[in-house]
Amino acid sequence: MSAVERSDQFCDGLMLRVASGDREALGDLFASEAGRLIAIARRILRRKDLAEEAVQEGFIAAWKHAPRFDPARGSARAWLTTIVRNRALNILRDGQRLRLTGDDMARHGESDSSADAAFEALDEADALKHCLSQLDEPRRRSILLAYVLGYTHGEIAAKLNAPLGTVKAWIRRGVIALQECLS
Amino acid sequence: MSSDSERLAHAGDYVLGLLDDDARAEAERKMERDPEFAETVRRLAERMSSLDDTAKPADVPAGMWGEILGTIATLPQDHNGASPPEQSAANQNSATQAPPWRKLALAASLAAAFGLGYAGGFVMKTTPEPVVLVVLQTPDNTTGAVFEAFADNSLKIIPLADFDVPQDKIMQVWTLYDASVGPVSLGTLSSAEVTTLKGQALPVPAADQLYEITLEPRPGSPTGKPTGPILVKGFAKRPAG
Repeated sequence: MSAVERSDQFCDGLMLRVASGDREALGDLFASEAGRLIAIARRILRRKDLAEEAVQEGFIAAWKHAPRFDPARGSARAWLTTIVRNRALNILRDGQRLRLTGDDMARHGESDSSADAAFEALDEADALKHCLSQLDEPRRRSILLAYVLGYTHGEIAAKLNAPLGTVKAWIRRGVIALQECLS
Repeated sequence: MSSDSERLAHAGDYVLGLLDDDARAEAERKMERDPEFAETVRRLAERMSSLDDTAKPADVPAGMWGEILGTIATLPQDHNGASPPEQSAANQNSATQAPPWRKLALAASLAAAFGLGYAGGFVMKTTPEPVVLVVLQTPDNTTGAVFEAFADNSLKIIPLADFDVPQDKIMQVWTLYDASVGPVSLGTLSSAEVTTLKGQALPVPAADQLYEITLEPRPGSPTGKPTGPILVKGFAKRPAG
C-alpha cells in the first residue's frame, strides 16, 4: 500500500468519525490536511488570507455535511479538496465580478509559472504526467492554467495571446484526448 | 461530435472549473440523472488531483482551528440531503463579519461543492432510494396506500384512502419478513397523512415481503402482534431500473 493510500484510509476513518459528531476527529483531519489545502487554494487565489478563508469555510462545511460522506464514492481527502477548490474558485470569480483589482492583478504576474511547476512535479510514474505530456503544448498549458490556477477561458486567451475560440478548442480537444489517454 | 466526446468535454470543463455558475449548476443536475457523466467527472477529478498533491503544504495560522471549533461547537450537522444555501454552515459562520456579497458567494460555492459530490457521487451519498415499494390494497381491492421502504427499514407511508380511525384506535404498521418470526410492528400513525416511520434493526426489506396496516387500540396492539382488522395490505416490489 502506498503512502497516499494509507493517508487516504486514515482520513476516511477520521471523516466517518466526524460524521457521527466527533469534533476531535475533525481536528485531526485539520491537522493532517489544512496545510495542503491552503496551498491548493493559494495557487488559485494568490492571497494568503483568502486561501485561509476558503479552507476555514471548507472545514466548517465538512463538519456540517459529514453525515453524507461515503468513502465508497471517493476519498475524504478528495472530498475536502473539492470543497476547498470550489470555494476558492467562487471567491475568485466573485472578486472579478466586483472588479476587486489590486491584489487580484498580481496573480497574472509571476504566478502562472506554478502551473508548469505543478506539472513538472508530478511523479514520472503518474499516468496524468504521461498523458499531459502527450498533448501539444498550448493544450497542456491551457488545461494546467485552468485547473491549477483557476484561470477562465478569457484569462488563458490573454495569457497565451490566442483568440478565445482557439483556446476553447484547445481545451476541448485537450481534455478529450487526456481522458482517452487516461482510460 | 459524438456523444462520447461531448460527455468528455463537458466533464473536462466542469473539473477544470471553467463553467459559470449557471452552467455548473446545470452540470450538477445532469450528474444526478446521468450516472455515466457523473462517473466521468469523478474519474477525471480523481486523476487531476495529482496536481493538487504537488502543492507544498502552507503554514497553518495558529488560531484557525480554534475559530473553526468555535463555529462548529453550536452548528448542527446536516443529516438530511442538501441544505438550502441560506442555512449553509459557512453562511452562518460569516454572518457577523462578511459583506453581503460574500455571503451570497459562499452559499453558491457550498451548493456547488456539495452539488458535485451529491450529484456526481464523487463524495456524497445520494438521497436514499427506497429498496422496495409496496402498493397496499384495502379489503375491497382498492389501492389504499403506497409505502417506500428503505434499507434501514424506515418507511414512508403515503395514504391514498381516507381511513376512518375512531378516537380510541390507532393505525399500526406491520411487516412480515420471516414467517417463523411473525409480523413485526414498524410503528403507528393516528391519521391518514404522509408519514415517515423510523428505521429498525431488521433485515433489509426484500421483494415479496408482506406489509399491512391494522386498526389497533391506542397506543398500539396490546399483544405485540396484529389483533384488529386489516385496513390495507400488500407485497413489496423492487423499483424497476
